[in-house]
Amino acid sequence: MKRLIAIRRISQIFFLTLFIYILWSTTYPLKGLLPPGTLFKINPLIMIMTSISERVVVPGIMVSLVMLILTLIFGRFFCGWICPLGTTIDMTAAMGRKKYSEDDRVNRNVRKPKFLILIIVAIAAILGVQLAWFMDPMVIMARFVSLNLIPTVTFLINSGFMFLIKYLHLYGPVQDLYRALKPTILGINVYYFSHSGIIFLVFVFVCLLTLAKRRLWCRSLCPLGALYAVASRLAFLRRRVAECIQCGKCKSDCRMGAIKDDMSYVQGECILCMDCIYDCPGHATSFRFIPLRQSKPPMAQAKDDRSGISRREFIFLAMSSILLLGFRFKKNETKVTGNVIRPPAALREEDFLNRCIRCGNCMKVCITNGLQPVLFQTGLEGIWTPQLVPEIGYCEYQCTLCGNTCPTGAIPPLSIDKKRLVRLGLAEIDRSICIPWAEGRQCIVCQEHCPVAQKAIKLESDTTGGSNILKPYIDEDLCIGCGICQNKCPVRPVRAVRVYPRNSDRT
Amino acid sequence: MEKDKSFFESVLQKRVSRKGFLKLCLAGLALVPFLGYLSKQTNAATQNFNGRQKKGLKGAYDLVIAKGEDPYAMVVKAIDLMGGIEKFVKKNSIVVIKPNIGWDRVPEQAGNTNPQVVAALIDLSFKAGAKKVKVFDVTCNDARRCYANSGIERAAREKGAEVFFPDTWDVIDAHFNYDSPMEGWPVLRDAIECDTFINVPVLKHHGLTRLTLSMKNLMGICGGNRGTMHRDIGRKLVDLTDFINPDLTVIDAYRVLLRNGPTGGDLKDVELKKTLVVATDPTLADTYACSIVNVDPSSIPYISVARERKFGSIDIEGANKAYAEA
Repeated sequence: MKRLIAIRRISQIFFLTLFIYILWSTTYPLKGLLPPGTLFKINPLIMIMTSISERVVVPGIMVSLVMLILTLIFGRFFCGWICPLGTTIDMTAAMGRKKYSEDDRVNRNVRKPKFLILIIVAIAAILGVQLAWFMDPMVIMARFVSLNLIPTVTFLINSGFMFLIKYLHLYGPVQDLYRALKPTILGINVYYFSHSGIIFLVFVFVCLLTLAKRRLWCRSLCPLGALYAVASRLAFLRRRVAECIQCGKCKSDCRMGAIKDDMSYVQGECILCMDCIYDCPGHATSFRFIPLRQSKPPMAQAKDDRSGISRREFIFLAMSSILLLGFRFKKNETKVTGNVIRPPAALREEDFLNRCIRCGNCMKVCITNGLQPVLFQTGLEGIWTPQLVPEIGYCEYQCTLCGNTCPTGAIPPLSIDKKRLVRLGLAEIDRSICIPWAEGRQCIVCQEHCPVAQKAIKLESDTTGGSNILKPYIDEDLCIGCGICQNKCPVRPVRAVRVYPRNSDRT
Repeated sequence: MEKDKSFFESVLQKRVSRKGFLKLCLAGLALVPFLGYLSKQTNAATQNFNGRQKKGLKGAYDLVIAKGEDPYAMVVKAIDLMGGIEKFVKKNSIVVIKPNIGWDRVPEQAGNTNPQVVAALIDLSFKAGAKKVKVFDVTCNDARRCYANSGIERAAREKGAEVFFPDTWDVIDAHFNYDSPMEGWPVLRDAIECDTFINVPVLKHHGLTRLTLSMKNLMGICGGNRGTMHRDIGRKLVDLTDFINPDLTVIDAYRVLLRNGPTGGDLKDVELKKTLVVATDPTLADTYACSIVNVDPSSIPYISVARERKFGSIDIEGANKAYAEA
């Protein structure tokens, strides 16, 4: 009877399902049971580092502090019982070797890098740059689920139905079922995200690390894990071994390499997976709440065993991370966004890059699929930030979803009245390929679709050559750069009307 | 019990013999011609006219014009004058009601058909014994927002109609008996395979065609790159109307968007005309609707093409008209 392990697994599956559910429900009309930002509001690394680097208190930071307080009581339970990436890593680990143990020296070296990463992230935050997004586990997982998993699964289900209905002529109940599923579960659009293969590869790499060493990501690299490790060093819930016979079974069980050669353990590394309880001869191992005063470890801790980093390493780190930041500060003066159209009312570029945690919520929720991950168009630091690609989808005139799902306020929540006035850019008509201008034939699809009440695309009548041809031109005062004109323009392969991020309203 | 043997080891790492592997490959290859056969079967083109049958249904009048305060009552009254809905909807038939749900606009902005008009037509169809009433449109803005904010989704669902989001792959390629620029254009299967097609456009301004009327409303059953339909739009819309051959055209001119169409948005551009036009001949309905907003019918591309082709009648004076007050 491994009851605690069973409970842990149920908890892991439950939270993984909840995680996927929340991201799945991050879509029009946003009627999920939990608000879409929940996942990131409980993440202290994201919340604290964003707040520090932006010098604001990001709303919802209290929730993440509750998680830290819980860690102070229970230890790193988040990593073992909740973290969806940890769950996926554990599932991947089922493919690999189960039991092996390494000596203290190896384990110490393995757990060190994550603290270095946490310190780099913290120093960067103090200097005003937010790097937490880069290796945060929730973000990596959320990006995978939102931009890879859900689109792929819906695509496959949709194609399956399309095959059944169109090619096998199952128009009756099958099509009725499909039509019932579409607005409820599948979503009416099949989403596509450019360069999402790279996001997938990053996720797979993180998961496969576990085949080299179990939970290698969590032990060695995860900055959120490092933050929890620091907090859990004081936790009340501790592992106690009544009469250790030094059999070493727990040591080879431990996926985190938290058990030392002398069978004591590193509390900051323990994720409370409960594996060590059940193999212990005579059931000597248990987890108990032990008040701080009585918490003398059974065996005296050698001084160099305290996890973390040496002074020398710290100085090296501080210097290197400051050097690392050099390029950011230089570029701030002449920040160029290239031809990247940011979501409506996105913060100024420097602030936007700091606030944006690349979680993919805005892209997942975007009703037209127009928000796409940027690759390197805005430099290395802009990777996976959202941009509007009007060819794929335009910014829906009365839609405010992206601002309402952004967990850190990089895209501020807007009222519909405000959103209608927000300019994302400015459209330009390329008269050399525009049908009425270049070929003298009727078209004006762009003017038809322009959502501005007074029409930001005006028409000029040209009666030369007998017939009356309407030629579109842009009213720069009215154009909000929503991109529907570019999206609907029938000219291929390059659209005759294109939106550029000039003139955009950024706060 | 061998616990360490995971799913991965027992199934995925199972060794397959060379023979077994070859067999698997061959089985996979054999599927290819089968799938090819299936797709050929389904895509087999019929070269003849494959649009809706011309039934030539006629009402008691050529043209019924209803005026009043309540769009619902106006529809009931007008159809009644036409000779009753039973003339158009038979028992156990499938009825398609095609309103304009193109834009993410509320009814007051007059960008879409009045939901009350749609509701009335659904009620009437069911009263005549229709088995199924389908309401759909290929929208220009996001479909969910259009369906919800136009009020049509809710109104139609309440009346028991089937409201769904059409798939642009669930189409039939249009074929004509004559040379047409619409040859091969994908048209929604649901719009073609029905017993009664009721076209319910809203009268409003449009930049290119001056007015959006019944023929323009039929663009909403087309797939493909619809923007390219704007080239030579008059001819294409007349051919499309000929292809679909709507049994009944009900033009909603209760609220009329007079400027900045077809999207609108500003309530100042909307005028109350409180009128409804019902006809079996789409050309006649469109021609009459022009007079409501004082537009010369010959300036509308599809009406002028219809006149040249003698597709339907543009003779308002000679038509058998009836006026209703609700």
